[in-house]
Amino acid sequence: MSDTPSAPELVHDTTREGVVTAMRAALGEGLIDSMIKPNDDVWVRVSADAWQQAGRVLRDTVGCEYFCFLSAIDWLPSPYGRGEDDPTAPLPERDSTIKQGYTGGSTRMQVFARVTNLQKHFGVTIKADVPDSEPSIDSWVTVYAGANWHERECHEMFGIDFNGHPDLRNMYLPTDFEGYPLRKDFPLLARMVKPWPGIVDVELLPGDDADEPAVSIEGEPA
Amino acid sequence: MPTPLTTLFNLGRSYSLWVYQWGLACCAIEMGAAFGSPRYDVMRLGVIPLPASPRQADLVVISGTVTDKMAPSIKRLYEQMPEPKYVISMGSCANCGGPYWDSYSVTKGVDQIIPVDIYVPGCPPRPEALLEGVVLLQQRIKNEDMGARWRGEGTKARTAKPIVVGGGPIE
Amino acid sequence: MTDLADRQKLSYIAAQAADARLNVELETEGMTLNIGPQHPATHGTLRIIVRLDGEQVIWAEPGAGYMHRGYEKLTEVRTFPQVTALVNRIDWLGSFANEVPFILAAEKLMDVEAPPRAQWIRTILFELSRIANVSLFLGDLGVQLGAITPVFMAFRDREYVLNLIESATGGRFHPNFDRIGGLKEDLPAGWITETKQVMKKLRNFCDEIENLLFGNEIFQSRLRGIGVIPAEVAKQYGLSGANLRASGVDWDLRRDQKLPLAYDKVDFKVWTHPDGDSFARCWIRLQETREATKIVDQLLEGIPSGSVMAKVPRIIKVPEGEAWVSTENPLGEMGYYVVSKGDLGPFRVKIRSASFNNISIVPWVLRGVYVPDVISILASLYFILGDIDR
Repeated sequence: MSDTPSAPELVHDTTREGVVTAMRAALGEGLIDSMIKPNDDVWVRVSADAWQQAGRVLRDTVGCEYFCFLSAIDWLPSPYGRGEDDPTAPLPERDSTIKQGYTGGSTRMQVFARVTNLQKHFGVTIKADVPDSEPSIDSWVTVYAGANWHERECHEMFGIDFNGHPDLRNMYLPTDFEGYPLRKDFPLLARMVKPWPGIVDVELLPGDDADEPAVSIEGEPA
Repeated sequence: MPTPLTTLFNLGRSYSLWVYQWGLACCAIEMGAAFGSPRYDVMRLGVIPLPASPRQADLVVISGTVTDKMAPSIKRLYEQMPEPKYVISMGSCANCGGPYWDSYSVTKGVDQIIPVDIYVPGCPPRPEALLEGVVLLQQRIKNEDMGARWRGEGTKARTAKPIVVGGGPIE
Repeated sequence: MTDLADRQKLSYIAAQAADARLNVELETEGMTLNIGPQHPATHGTLRIIVRLDGEQVIWAEPGAGYMHRGYEKLTEVRTFPQVTALVNRIDWLGSFANEVPFILAAEKLMDVEAPPRAQWIRTILFELSRIANVSLFLGDLGVQLGAITPVFMAFRDREYVLNLIESATGGRFHPNFDRIGGLKEDLPAGWITETKQVMKKLRNFCDEIENLLFGNEIFQSRLRGIGVIPAEVAKQYGLSGANLRASGVDWDLRRDQKLPLAYDKVDFKVWTHPDGDSFARCWIRLQETREATKIVDQLLEGIPSGSVMAKVPRIIKVPEGEAWVSTENPLGEMGYYVVSKGDLGPFRVKIRSASFNNISIVPWVLRGVYVPDVISILASLYFILGDIDR
């Protein structure tokens, strides 16, 4: 990232712009939003209906044959904060507005995946909204065989159903586990009982400057 | 039981411990270094780290994080060991849950499942710390009352307090 | 060929055919065998459920989750330095390598680059952790196949590397040495000369293992042609590291990616093998260990001087954004997708661990192999349980 802050459009990343163009040509309305950090990375958001088709486009047209991972993000801010509340006091009010990250979104949960093109050395992060009322999306097992395990893990951690997945059992958790752990409203019970004794002291020590570096050590010559 | 006989038996037992290594996580590597590497050799203490099954072991070293999914296996394998048996809990994950104390799938300490004789703290403890734990256990075995054990008082409830390595004299 | 040998061969073939007819007629049921979760031959608590027909596997299913500690949930309630300390323990053999992609992702979000000396020292420690990790793999390989001696040699030689790491960072493994913006402190005096000595010892170790194991006839016949994974399947499943290169795919993140580490300042060879069988995977790891010692030697020659920590504020709040960084870890490609909301700690961290993808291919690759090959294929795929289960 070498451009100056006042002129962000100077650097053109033709490879990644080509990716977005190819996907728009193939998916049309399915491609909702995209974001490119030049010479760094590219993010793409597609609609939930176009999720499987987008996977095929990435694999065949864009040439990303290498499947990196698939997972989900829950954008709800946690009602328990960072688990440092006093267990005897009632739960404080916290801001619960859902604000998605790069390429936006309109639902609480999003699935996202990453695939890599080994010939041209770039990767694409692709996201899709998962409907809030009934969290389910098409499975990628027919597109990338390795998505099998990733979707199983995503299902047991977030509760997202994958249509067309052959075998959506629990992978990590015991079969009688209740709840979806990686959702933000799943509390960590040990923290509710006993607050974390190592809360970071965010007040500056007297005499310290906020911008002072943590340490400054001079190295020895080689 | 007459004292010379007890002393003899205790001496023999303490110098011929057979360890069943329950290596779960990172501490298993330190345990492997303590048991298998030529530097922190454990065989010089008389401890043989090679029993093939729990039914031939008298000491089990639980090293690594105990998850809720793994806990029934630990209980089952502990029950398969014949008396007299001892347990060393190695590392902070096995002692009390360790750095994962607030996780939803980690058992906060293996002493919730099986009774523990020696706690070796550390993350991971150095191999020398584990060897010190073994030596302290040997000292405790030498001071044991075999008659009480045979009468069954030792098996129902561990009356002696468990030892923490680095924490004071033995009783 | 004498007549006797021919007759023996014919009678052997006839007996096999008769056996096959008998099996078909009797329709004996397969046996379900449970390997693990506690087994001296698995690298930890992995449970494999195989369904057998005689000695052949019909299907196999790994049951992971016995070491699931809930990393991704725990990172949401910790600050960035606390997450660094926690993340060491995912791949617990080469632990410095786990911190690096996370710190690089946080630095990407903060738009901070560590000074050159810190980058070089990071790369040196990264390669040292690779050597520590894979040298234990080479020793363990012997144990999986029944040869117990190499593991003692591996532990002995690994002690040298662990001593080095301990003298620089304070921890044998789990160093917890990386910080956002650089390193915790500088190298002690005399470390560089000591490291050069240790690298020579490790090259000797690699040669010893090569003579002891790789030339052995039993080793070759047990590993050659077993567990072949074609390149297309490897890419679909996301196999990485030596597993991918053993199938002929020339992909190494150290060379093919631009990261603030010192890999572009050194020459190193990326080893590939066209076969894709277990022997190829093991052989490549041996070559990579040797290559890593050469990389460390080159890096030691030219460490720049300067500070090891950039100017970052005392209490680190990473600005809002998302970043993905992955590196060529000893086990494969390990990456972190860090989502931050401008807080003291991350909002969501997705940990992409190499062994998860490496083991997801086990149901595919174990069809039709014999039971002892199950163990040797798993040994050659090389996983660490903490990496699978996080």
